[in-house]
Amino acid sequence: MPPLLSADLKRPAVRLANVTKTFGQHTAVRDLSLEVPRGCTYGFIGPNGSGKTTTIRTILHIFHPDSGEVEVLGERSTRAASDRIGYLPEERGLYKKMTVRRVLAYYAALKGMNRADAAKAITEWLAKMGLSEWADKKVEALSKGMAQKIQFIAAVIARPELLILDEPFSGLDPVNLEVLRAAILELRATGTTIVFSTHDMAMAEIMCDFIFMIYRGNKVLDGTLADIQRQFGEDTVRVGCGGGAELLRGLPGVELVRDLGQLQELRHPDAQALLRDLAPRTTVRHFEVCKPSLHDIFIRIAKPDLQEMQLPKTTGGGA
Amino acid sequence: MKKVWRVAATEYLNAVRSKAFIIGVLAVPLIMAISIGAQFYAQKKTDVTPRRFAVLDRSGQLYPALAAKVQARTDGLRAGAKSVSVPLKEGQSLKVDLPPQAEFVVEEFQLRGDDLKAAELQLSGRVRRKELFAFVIIGPNVLDPRATNGTEVLYHTQTPTYQDLPAWVENTLSGEIRERRFTAAGVDSKQVRELSRPVTLQRLGLAEQKATGEVVQAKRENRIATLVVPVGGMVLLYLVVMTSAPALLNTVLEEKMQKISEVLLASVAPFELMLGKLLGTVLVSLTLSALYLGSLTWVLWRFEQLGNVPGQLFAWFFLFQVLALLMYGSVFLAIGAACNEIRDAQSLMFPVMMVVMVPYLMFIPVMESPTSPFSRGISLFPPATPMLMFLRLAIPPGPTWWEIVVGVVLTTAFMLGCVWASAKIFRIGILSQGQAPNLTKLVKWVFSK
Repeated sequence: MPPLLSADLKRPAVRLANVTKTFGQHTAVRDLSLEVPRGCTYGFIGPNGSGKTTTIRTILHIFHPDSGEVEVLGERSTRAASDRIGYLPEERGLYKKMTVRRVLAYYAALKGMNRADAAKAITEWLAKMGLSEWADKKVEALSKGMAQKIQFIAAVIARPELLILDEPFSGLDPVNLEVLRAAILELRATGTTIVFSTHDMAMAEIMCDFIFMIYRGNKVLDGTLADIQRQFGEDTVRVGCGGGAELLRGLPGVELVRDLGQLQELRHPDAQALLRDLAPRTTVRHFEVCKPSLHDIFIRIAKPDLQEMQLPKTTGGGA
Repeated sequence: MKKVWRVAATEYLNAVRSKAFIIGVLAVPLIMAISIGAQFYAQKKTDVTPRRFAVLDRSGQLYPALAAKVQARTDGLRAGAKSVSVPLKEGQSLKVDLPPQAEFVVEEFQLRGDDLKAAELQLSGRVRRKELFAFVIIGPNVLDPRATNGTEVLYHTQTPTYQDLPAWVENTLSGEIRERRFTAAGVDSKQVRELSRPVTLQRLGLAEQKATGEVVQAKRENRIATLVVPVGGMVLLYLVVMTSAPALLNTVLEEKMQKISEVLLASVAPFELMLGKLLGTVLVSLTLSALYLGSLTWVLWRFEQLGNVPGQLFAWFFLFQVLALLMYGSVFLAIGAACNEIRDAQSLMFPVMMVVMVPYLMFIPVMESPTSPFSRGISLFPPATPMLMFLRLAIPPGPTWWEIVVGVVLTTAFMLGCVWASAKIFRIGILSQGQAPNLTKLVKWVFSK
């Protein structure tokens, strides 16, 4: 990675100003403004079809906005920074008939890397990911998890300043997930700005410095987890009681009951009133007033969409 | 431009290292070699069992002559050469085996009484029992030129696909009967042959006058130079273009289906990607044609026929090949980018293939009359120019210089238009999902911002 000047460091890695992108009659992103500070991990969340991928493609200059301004790594509305950006798309794309080494060398070359540097980086990354012996095998011979790690290497091979990961952990087993997570954190530690989209709210809570949520093309959340939780107040209650979720669903004022097994998580505007209602009906083993989880916040915002899509109800057995 | 060349180099290396390319390069010469070899092998396996046939000569005059000619043929076959030498370069020749021929054995069949049907039945029985291969019945009035009945010669066999024997019998009897009719009419057959000798036509080019005033006589027409080179060259040009350009559709469609395009577009602009692919294919196709033309040049040199191919024709070949590839290739790329399935691409391919077929469908009238208004007009129609202008260039004396210039300029302009329009379609289509666009939508994409 080339050394950054102090002026560069002050500028955000990504800045979108009033960006709108439409496809025919459909507005995918509406008047979106966003700043991703340098060196942070920025999580993009939102239901399917809400505009995450369009936003990512706009940052990558794959899509041109209908209006608004896009600045990436200090380059405004051009592809000049594309060699300094790494991208892992949601749907993996590797040439099946090429060997792992040749695919990676090709992607590195497209990022402007010279052959010698690319060869060295390929060897290092394959070793780090435990794939050295697969270097000269064809991509079609790899398992899904291996192919995903190769795709990740393709995204980071040219040591990008900005790394955009679209659902990087989907389909990975826990061991490979940890390998990838460690690699991402290592890159972040060396100053790489990470933007990643995910449906895994727990992962977003753990990894992200900032969280951005887009819903039906509009920005609905943008800030640190603490800021976001503060916006949603302390109306989340965890209860452990006889009768479980079925009993709780019947109580007045109770919303969004998630059955966590031993406990149930729910929303109630007045925790004291809830406790008063519960006490005469059952034995209360656990009663905890807490901040809403990111998962809970996501559900609150996107619930209409999820209902429209006829997904399993969140009041059933959690998500 | 650096990224364009990186894409092009990768496309080129991927293609030329693939089994499909190696098989493709070897396919044409291999198929030719196999077919020639198979013919030689089949010739050696020709059934040369003597063909015995019976003759019922109802004229009563022709059998002895026919039997004598059968014997003469047998003697000729036994004594004659089994191969001929085809001269190559000075002092060298190629020995080519002549196809082996079966000997004929003839026997006379005497008709007892007038029962022709019984004779036919008897002879047919012998053919069925394989005692005979065939039998011939010569009509009683075959020598009478004015007779209307009994003049036919009947050939019976149960192997009608064998042609040598009936053809020989027909020729031999016709010659013999003609000679006898002349003699009967008091005409000297030798004189008739001399008088009816056909005139021979010599095909020549045109005489020229040099700047010094010296007149150069017209040269005899060479069929290799005037027919084989133009048609062979055009077919080869068509072949190398059509084996390379449509492959672009599959490549880009495959990348789109496997979601590789999105990864690539994060690093290169859509136009850079398209141009890289196009140039990679041009390089693959040029490699293919260099291999074919190199081999053909060697063969022509070996048989001392290279002088029949004007040197500048090679340059025209490569120029028109590049123009055609960029023109057709960009269109195939655009179709591949716009579609999500091969089935959708096939329906969009149909109108394109109709245009691409134009030169192939029109080359015969152009070849027969290269300077007609039709030939001039069709060879200036840009999608057809690379093939048809090349064809006209290869047929002496070739088109006028202004036609060549107009053809090249129009085709270049049309090619640039195709690349521009295809780039617009490619940019939108490469990431589009869902239903494949129709032609109207593609046109809209071309003129969208």
